Amino acid sequence: MSRLRRIAQASSRDLMILAAVVTVLGLIPLGVSRFTLSVATTALIFALAGIGWNVLSGFAGQFSFGHAAYFGLGAYTVAVTLTEFSISPWVGLIVGGVIAAAFGLLTGWISFRFGLKGAYFALATFALAEMLRLTFNNLDYVGAGIGITIPLAGGDDWGRIQFEDTPSLQYWVLLGIVAVSLVAVIAITKSRLGSTMLAVREDEDAASSLGINPLRAKMAAISISGFITALAGGYYTQFLLFIDPDLAFGPFVSVAILLRPIIGGVGTIWGPVLGAAILSVLGEVTRSLVREPPSFLQVIEGVNGLDQVLFGLILVLVIIRAPDGVLGWFRRRRQRSAV
Amino acid sequence: MRKFTIYLALLLSLVMIAAACVSEAEETTTTTAAEPTETTQAETTTTTTAEDEPPEAAEPVKIGSIHPLTGGLAGAGNRMDNGAKMAVEEINAAGGITSLGGAPLELVSADSTGAAEVGQSEAERLIGDGVSAIIGTYQSAVTTNVAAISERDGVPLVIDVAVADSILDQGYANVFRIQPNATSMGANGAKFLNELAGDEIKTVAYLHDETGFGVSVADAFEAAAAEYGIEVLARIPYPPFEVTDLTTEMSQAAATSPDVIVITGYYNDGLLAARAATDLEVDVKAVVGVAQGAFHTPQFVADFGTDAELFYNSNYHFNASDPKVKAVLDKFESTYGEPMDTEAMLSYQAIYVIADALERAGSADPAEVRAALADTNITDHFMAYPGPITFDETGENVNAQPVLMQVVDGAVQQVYPLDLRETDPVFPGTPWGGS
Amino acid sequence: MRGRPRNAIWAALAIVAGLLLTQSTWWDTNQTVFAQAVVSGLLIGGVYSLVAMGLSLVFGVLDIINFAHGALMTIAIYVSYLLFLNQGVDPYLSLFITIPLMFILGVGIQRFAINPVMDAPIHNQLLLTLGIAIIIENLALVFFTGTPRSIELSYARNEFDLGPITLDFPVKVFGAVVTLPKLIAFIMALLLAALLYLLIKRTQLGAAIRAAAQEPEGAELVGIDVRRIYTITFGIGAACVGAAGALVIPFLFVSPTAGATFNIIAFIVVVLGGMGSIPGALVGGLVIGLTQEMTQLFVSGSSKLLGVFVVFLAVLLFRPEGLFGRVQR
Repeated sequence: MSRLRRIAQASSRDLMILAAVVTVLGLIPLGVSRFTLSVATTALIFALAGIGWNVLSGFAGQFSFGHAAYFGLGAYTVAVTLTEFSISPWVGLIVGGVIAAAFGLLTGWISFRFGLKGAYFALATFALAEMLRLTFNNLDYVGAGIGITIPLAGGDDWGRIQFEDTPSLQYWVLLGIVAVSLVAVIAITKSRLGSTMLAVREDEDAASSLGINPLRAKMAAISISGFITALAGGYYTQFLLFIDPDLAFGPFVSVAILLRPIIGGVGTIWGPVLGAAILSVLGEVTRSLVREPPSFLQVIEGVNGLDQVLFGLILVLVIIRAPDGVLGWFRRRRQRSAV
Repeated sequence: MRKFTIYLALLLSLVMIAAACVSEAEETTTTTAAEPTETTQAETTTTTTAEDEPPEAAEPVKIGSIHPLTGGLAGAGNRMDNGAKMAVEEINAAGGITSLGGAPLELVSADSTGAAEVGQSEAERLIGDGVSAIIGTYQSAVTTNVAAISERDGVPLVIDVAVADSILDQGYANVFRIQPNATSMGANGAKFLNELAGDEIKTVAYLHDETGFGVSVADAFEAAAAEYGIEVLARIPYPPFEVTDLTTEMSQAAATSPDVIVITGYYNDGLLAARAATDLEVDVKAVVGVAQGAFHTPQFVADFGTDAELFYNSNYHFNASDPKVKAVLDKFESTYGEPMDTEAMLSYQAIYVIADALERAGSADPAEVRAALADTNITDHFMAYPGPITFDETGENVNAQPVLMQVVDGAVQQVYPLDLRETDPVFPGTPWGGS
Repeated sequence: MRGRPRNAIWAALAIVAGLLLTQSTWWDTNQTVFAQAVVSGLLIGGVYSLVAMGLSLVFGVLDIINFAHGALMTIAIYVSYLLFLNQGVDPYLSLFITIPLMFILGVGIQRFAINPVMDAPIHNQLLLTLGIAIIIENLALVFFTGTPRSIELSYARNEFDLGPITLDFPVKVFGAVVTLPKLIAFIMALLLAALLYLLIKRTQLGAAIRAAAQEPEGAELVGIDVRRIYTITFGIGAACVGAAGALVIPFLFVSPTAGATFNIIAFIVVVLGGMGSIPGALVGGLVIGLTQEMTQLFVSGSSKLLGVFVVFLAVLLFRPEGLFGRVQR
């Protein structure tokens, strides 16, 4: 009990920030269009997936290039439990999280036992996600390549997490899940588990000589990470009302998941959320720039592909200029100005 | 340190607010920036019709167009968007929507980038922009998603291209499809083969892509073929976007000694399959595409040269035997510098379907457009269909069906059904001779 | 835990042999198909080797996951295609343009984009190369549209009199077809592998590259400019896909994502063969090509890529240093 209290005390500052962030994010749906809300919801879904990724790859330092595996397992669990068994997606989300965590434990145990690290671990996670994609593509039970369509509930339905009349609710519910996940992440970083994760990330050998069991820390990280990312996947199904193997397990899903925390700041609590906000704004700005360019740039109007070129350029620049993410960049600037 | 975190929180909130503001600002700029183009468009229409029509009556009617304008499918997506643009310009040049006082159409193009979540947010943007209807989207996955949005928001979606049956299985009231669905593609493919060659085709080997598209078309083909006494000896699936060679697959198909080899898939893999068949000189009576993305296209004939000769494809197609369609094809090629394919024609057609509904509805209100769309009956369409474009209660085009084509004398020609025939089919026929 | 790769290899061989035996009746009827699968597997495997060689070098020396590799190949494909289309240059002659061009481009990319992040964690380098890939592929889209194109060699089905033997393409080997463009690509893969191997093992530059790969700090101490070596290595890697791009055109397609088709397979080949190992990339490519075609033949109801990933995971777990790699860590 006292340990919990200690964690709560140590987290109080982060929890205050969280309250502020959630309040601000919660205000977004007030008075914006459905389009903006849709963009914001997508951003939040990938922020959530990124929060999960960040636990394994940021805090525990095991770079995953296949988080689509967890995302897809979550997405498919919600779709299958709802369409096959008429089970509420609320249950589906939890079950999906548990399945993904179990998948993480199993594959993680094998990978870590065999000493996979760095690029090798990344490639193994990638291979696992691809194997799931190919398997689901040929699995008739889950609709094979055709995928699963979620029927419309018609109106607001809390049990089915569909809010046709008040789409803001869909966003707020998701924000609630994000907030809970962030609380969990904050608690982990302040707990003993968090410091063992960091120790393993910094130097595995040194950590084990200090009596830390690196395998246990990594296993904890991969299961928590898988669980949170699967929540995002499950919510994604509810949001898109459709899932197929490419949307669930495609390589670009893995990239989309890790892109946000890396842009925001790997191994920071707020990196995934910040990165998601930045990327969404960036994506929409470049897209609208090509769609409706200012008069001096009239030549680029409607040149398809140019928005992606711009996006790629900005990505390259950010990585070169701010290699430890936007948060890291700010921190370094502060340190420099303090000197 | 404490100060730092407070700064951080402030910064984060600022970014969030900025995020919301920017996307909002964007929207307002889109609408305001859109106005000049509207007026220029209105001007062009008024210059042609200025004498007889008061300009203030022409409140433009917006139609959304969602296609993959970037990414791997950008080629087809851009042609489709151009097809829609061309139709809009023609309708405006001809005086716009008469029942709305000559209101011009305004096409609002959106890029799905080939991704479902982008398709979704773009659909929301278009609907927020006040479009009366949407056309799109080329991919079944994106279309499934956009269909759910348009159903929810009550804005009709006219699907130009998207094959999966399941899109309309949901009982949506606001979604209509002009092209034949997967079942129609597969079943008609089997029917045409049966009617074309009768007893000469008893067995087939089937090569198809392993995604939803190939599987559902092949399923429908196999079910229909069984009725005609045609046996599918082997089904050989392949991953369409990763393959770089299909020789083994083709030799597997040939090893079952079928009468014909049937192929379903996209362009690149179709090209690889055609190469494999040619290299192996497979001993069959014909190589037939069913909803195959390559064998009926001008660039297949242009790039594959004489080797393209005699390949069959049963696919959706514009009615090439109609002189009106030929004029559209020529105009497209001279305007956009590349040949018009069926996908672009379907987008072009979709705009005309919506314009027809607007004309009958006498209103730009999505609900009334939807009601009018449900009563669509267009006889002078551009497609190779046996009857008018008219939708059943699920939104499926009743008369949508593919047409069997063959590359004969260096050109893609319609060979079946008979009323759409441009030339007599060569059967048995493969470029490497044999049987 | 690890260190018993031999057992794993024996186990794999036993499984394959068992499969063959149980399929003996099958064998009678399907000899040609089997021969074709082997031949196709080897030929396409040669292409995989070709693409993977440059990647392996970059991975082994610079230790970065280069996701722009396929996109660089796309550039070479378009250059070769445009030369063919506009100037009528034979794709095999365009090698003399694509190889140096891609070398220069690779040097530029390394110099200005990747060198600045050489010390950053791997995910940054991965994202950087991904960003470069996005730029290249979409520039191709802007300039050439997404419409896939292709070319056919006018002499692909000619008869070639080579003195003692006459080859009438496509040639039949045990009933399996070998086409001229694929045979050329295969031979060129062997040739390039040999050249690269000699470059790495026998030249002074090669010695410096090896030093920079194994002991960057030590190399720096003995006066090797490691950054410069990195730059040259990336250039060589790009030059390899410069060759691959021109060589695959006659039997592949031309589109902005054509090169990216090889990205994943190339990584698998690199890991299988061992990072930085040229012979490894060569053998790895052939093994993966064969694995893929054998999966297609023997495992029905699943994608042929599944077999490739199974092999990949097995290698990662049991022999992460690859077939030809030195044991690391």
